[in-house]
Amino acid sequence: MAVAVRVDAVSEPVQASLWSDAWRRLRRNRLALAAAIYLVLLVGIAILAIFYTPYRMSATGIAPDYAPPSLAHWLGADNLGRDQLSRLMIGAQISLVVGVGTQLLVLAVGVPIGLLAGYYRGWLDQVVTFVINVFYGVPDLLVALILVFLLGPSLANIIIAIVVTRWMDMARLVRGQTLALREREFIEAARASGAKPMKMLFGHIMPNALGPIIVQATFGVPSAILFEAFLSFLGAGVQQPTPSWGSMAKDGVDAIQFAPHMVIAPAIALSLTLMAFNFLGDGLRDALDPRSKR
Amino acid sequence: MPTPILQVKKLRTEFETDGGIVRAVDDVTFDLYPGECLGIVGESGSGKSVTALSLLRLVPDPGRVVGGKVLFRNEDLLQIPEDDIRQIRGRDIAMIFQDPQSSLNPVLKTGFQIDEAMLAHGTPKAQARHRTIELLKKVRIPAAESRVKDFPHQLSGGMRQRAMIAMGLANTPSILIADEPTTALDVTVQAQILELLADLNRELGTAIVMITHNMGVVAGLCTRVIVMYAGQIVEEGPVEQIFDNPQHPYTWSLLRSIPRVDALRHERLRSIEGIAPDLLHPPKGCRFHPRCPFRVDKCFTDEPSLEEVAPNQKAACWVTMERARREMGADEIVDISPGAGSGVHPGELR
Repeated sequence: MAVAVRVDAVSEPVQASLWSDAWRRLRRNRLALAAAIYLVLLVGIAILAIFYTPYRMSATGIAPDYAPPSLAHWLGADNLGRDQLSRLMIGAQISLVVGVGTQLLVLAVGVPIGLLAGYYRGWLDQVVTFVINVFYGVPDLLVALILVFLLGPSLANIIIAIVVTRWMDMARLVRGQTLALREREFIEAARASGAKPMKMLFGHIMPNALGPIIVQATFGVPSAILFEAFLSFLGAGVQQPTPSWGSMAKDGVDAIQFAPHMVIAPAIALSLTLMAFNFLGDGLRDALDPRSKR
Repeated sequence: MPTPILQVKKLRTEFETDGGIVRAVDDVTFDLYPGECLGIVGESGSGKSVTALSLLRLVPDPGRVVGGKVLFRNEDLLQIPEDDIRQIRGRDIAMIFQDPQSSLNPVLKTGFQIDEAMLAHGTPKAQARHRTIELLKKVRIPAAESRVKDFPHQLSGGMRQRAMIAMGLANTPSILIADEPTTALDVTVQAQILELLADLNRELGTAIVMITHNMGVVAGLCTRVIVMYAGQIVEEGPVEQIFDNPQHPYTWSLLRSIPRVDALRHERLRSIEGIAPDLLHPPKGCRFHPRCPFRVDKCFTDEPSLEEVAPNQKAACWVTMERARREMGADEIVDISPGAGSGVHPGELR
């Protein structure tokens, strides 16, 4: 007589909170996990670059111009004989600051606007929706370029320019979530218990929309990084001698025929980072989706 | 007679739809006395829930309270500023909802949500948590100290409804409105929740407005009952009296359609013929006339008003009124119910 006792079925973890569930699902997603590890390393390098780079990133002539990779200069040198690796490390700082900084501002702008429009509806919602549509209607590159030229090309101004062209997605997402959530019974129950309006918005509605908000913000980071790289590529980004992956790629493209290493390094760094953020965003979307009970 | 704690006068709530205006609550008038338990019964769509929501100005869009008064402590709740009504919600008049599954916020811890109900009305934080545990014990949730840290989905349906009741009682309100609090629960849990409400009503003296479609719930808990049909009150009176001697044909039919254990086997379960009226185009005259077995010509054309037909008991029915008038004139008695009374005694349903 064979009684099969499956021990593993019993040791299934007790279902806990949304977040620990999500974390469990995220860990099972290999690609997202690899992306997360890569991003942690990148952040580590960016922090390290505050204190240490192999060479001073702005020091010219420390290697022959266009020197190919060697033991002393792992990624070679650029057109002014500056160390590519050092510049790439500083570039990581710039990219992360732009990507994360932009999304923090987008959150600060888009979330309250979306909550207010979705919760109060009426004329407020109509105005917000109209403004969002206007911003969608204007080409973002044009707006960003004009803003950078008006404000001057500093890191802060570039971030502002990107926020101005990218806040609408978040506002629209949060508005939609709020419209759906405000009809739910627990929101009615919270109102019936006398919760203050701000408490309703940030204490009851926002926590329920946090999953989609986080996913949206994660996808927003690479798009901002790419936008900054593009602005720098056009020369409207971070100014010399501060390197950005975009401006390094531009210098590299000019020399692509005889010093291809100059364009390859920033291009790979940029691609890997963009992919990592996108994979992480995908993983988070799956992990935070309550319907994917795996 | 004590003074009522809440007086509802000619309350009217309308919903503006594409097809026209639906009057979900039509001239509803009633009093609520301190410490009593008032039942509001009716079919789905009879306007009982909207009545409750109207009291606290919580009617969802596109609904609007268009007329009437809700007097509470000499104030008309329909007129005071939004911030004042917000303070009354949850502090003086609390509400618990039908489905405990969906009326607790899924991403916030249960204890935290009960704390919140108190914090919104100025209780200090340290005190709130202490009282939350006390409340959870009062509503008989076992291991209250650890349950406060649970998320709603970690609790059973019955426990969630207990937590909702705890939340409703957090600020010791003088009125608790319970909108079908047992409908989503299974029968044994229903009985426990009703018992809990009855105990709390007795112990704390909280007046309860019990909204339900279940006559058994009314019999078990309430002292007075209001019967609603198509947005209007059709009958009102003490529970015993209404069960013994219903005066409106709708009430009579409702009571007759309760399944009974002691019914003969071959006896079919009686239902009320027809369907609830379309409130977009309510029937002329008495709204119940298309389904009424006792209708007379007058019912097709004239709308009856709510009149006293027996001591403390009011009904809106031409036939009953006619009879009452004759009784007072000591004429013959026309008994509307063949076999007199509903045949259901409230004690049997308890």
